Amino acid sequence: MNLKTMLGAATAIALALPAYAEGTLNLYTWSDSIAPELIEKFEAQTGTTINTDGFQSNEDALTKLQAGSSGYDIVTPSQHFVKIVIDEGLLEDIGAKDLAAYAQVDDKWKGQWWDPENAYSIPLAYGTAGFAVNRDVYEGPVDSWEVYFTPPADLKGKVASLSYPDEVVGAAQLYLGVPFCSEDKAEMKKVYDLLMAQKPDVAAYSSDNIENRLGTAEVGAHFWWDGNVLKTRNDGANIVYAEPKEGLVGWLDSFVVPKGAANVEGAKQFIDFMSEEENATIQYNYYAHSSPVKLDLTKAKYTPENAPELFPTVPVEFSKACSPAAQDLVTKVWTDLLR
Amino acid sequence: MRGARIWGLVPAWVLMLATLMVPLLIVAAVSVAERGSYGGFAWDFNPLSYREILFSEDWDGNLVFDPKYLAIIGRTLLLAGATTLICMALALPVAYVIATRPPKTKALLIYLVTLPFWVSMIVRVYAWLIILGSEGFVGRFWHWIGGEGTLLFTPGAMLVGMVYSYIPLMVLPVFAAIEKLDPALLEAGADLYGSRWTTARRVILPLTWPGLAAGAVLVFVPALGTVLEPMLLGGGKQMMMGTLIQTQFGGARNWPFGAAVALVLMAMVVIVLVINARRSIRKEARA
Repeated sequence: MNLKTMLGAATAIALALPAYAEGTLNLYTWSDSIAPELIEKFEAQTGTTINTDGFQSNEDALTKLQAGSSGYDIVTPSQHFVKIVIDEGLLEDIGAKDLAAYAQVDDKWKGQWWDPENAYSIPLAYGTAGFAVNRDVYEGPVDSWEVYFTPPADLKGKVASLSYPDEVVGAAQLYLGVPFCSEDKAEMKKVYDLLMAQKPDVAAYSSDNIENRLGTAEVGAHFWWDGNVLKTRNDGANIVYAEPKEGLVGWLDSFVVPKGAANVEGAKQFIDFMSEEENATIQYNYYAHSSPVKLDLTKAKYTPENAPELFPTVPVEFSKACSPAAQDLVTKVWTDLLR
Repeated sequence: MRGARIWGLVPAWVLMLATLMVPLLIVAAVSVAERGSYGGFAWDFNPLSYREILFSEDWDGNLVFDPKYLAIIGRTLLLAGATTLICMALALPVAYVIATRPPKTKALLIYLVTLPFWVSMIVRVYAWLIILGSEGFVGRFWHWIGGEGTLLFTPGAMLVGMVYSYIPLMVLPVFAAIEKLDPALLEAGADLYGSRWTTARRVILPLTWPGLAAGAVLVFVPALGTVLEPMLLGGGKQMMMGTLIQTQFGGARNWPFGAAVALVLMAMVVIVLVINARRSIRKEARA
């Protein structure tokens, strides 16, 4: 008996007690990413009880899935992590292309490299990772990553980064012209040198509480995601999402079902529910990230005019699933940076 | 009679084995397992993780002695040590004042000391983000006296958060020790022309030492594994052992190395506890 089965057995015993699996659905999604209105609606429609748990990084989600028997029925990782969990055999084949939800998905997201057979995943939202500045702190141009990585006088000591390397290293690679997932030590050394030179001007490496830190001008520039900037700007913060000419880091989150999930049917039902035009529109208006499924455009709140964050005009480069060798270099950059 | 006593202890032993020893052995086994390509691990024997604590590949691919993890361990020890010392210095007078109040006030004050435990740790640390932030009253005061920049994301902010989180664990045992102090001994000190300072140093301090030592262990041990304060208040600019371990299981996808660092942390805790236990045994032998 290996560790995974042991952990699995332990969790199964723990879960068996309250397991009216039919009636409950356990979601593990990006924190606050699903519209509460839709959760209530689904519960009312189906009599299912939904439990939600949030994660703040793909790494957290991956770790939970690898530990085995997470107890979740639905998880929403990004494309490069979907690829990893499929390859590692951690997902349930839900026959995604036969789901009603699949018909709603925009063609450009079908048959992609992370799930070429469309067997495991239905996309939920997509967008970009870049940086935003607070206009009370910094008034200059934001058309290049140069502003972020080699901050001008107004931003010295007032830049904030994320606590995980994933997208930050990607952005540094875009700026330097180094390919994503490079296995070339000399190239990755350049990434390290850039981040190390930026470090004296970085106030914090933290993925929590970003809206407060940037909104209250505690820092002047923050690594962030498109829709979060949009929401915080709409709440009255004087911030703007940069459109660096070197490009933005792209992501697409999908619904997937962990292997051995207790309520696979309920999970499929929920995925179909979320992809219905009316519900997808409610979700879009709540989450403020772009939707890969059909929307009711008469009710969709965000347009290129009122939400430029969601409609970037610069190139978008999607994160890839790195080889172990490439990932070790990313880790080395990060550990040496924060040593 | 004797047999019954031994059998009566079986549930306790089973509990200890199942919840303490088995998980520990699993961690030890993982630390020498083969790392999986994308996280996870495969059973095998590979002690490379322990070499990695001291030696790592540089940018040219040579294996060199690299003290980066030793620096992280040293920094963690320093932070936990500073937290313990500050907690001691602050807890002693607080506990003394509480212990010398009338019984009713005393009960209320002790209740107040434990009150923060009713609120989640994360919420309490977030509260400091607000207090020290530029909109918070400490932050505003700092700007009013002409301070520059933000108070957050500094080692000082981190230390404030740590002391705040752990000080109740110091106050309680010290309070218990002071409460047992015989007031006659203090009077005797005064009668012998000892100043208040001398009394504190020569009478109160030695007699409350067991309480301080117990408090020191209670504070130092969890402070070694702390993750929240360095990340939220310290700005995560320098890793601590807690964050290092977390990174290995997350972004770095190197579970065996994470397990190895966790065992090193564990060994440090055991050393502290053993030193403490030996001291108290010696004390008791003398008494």
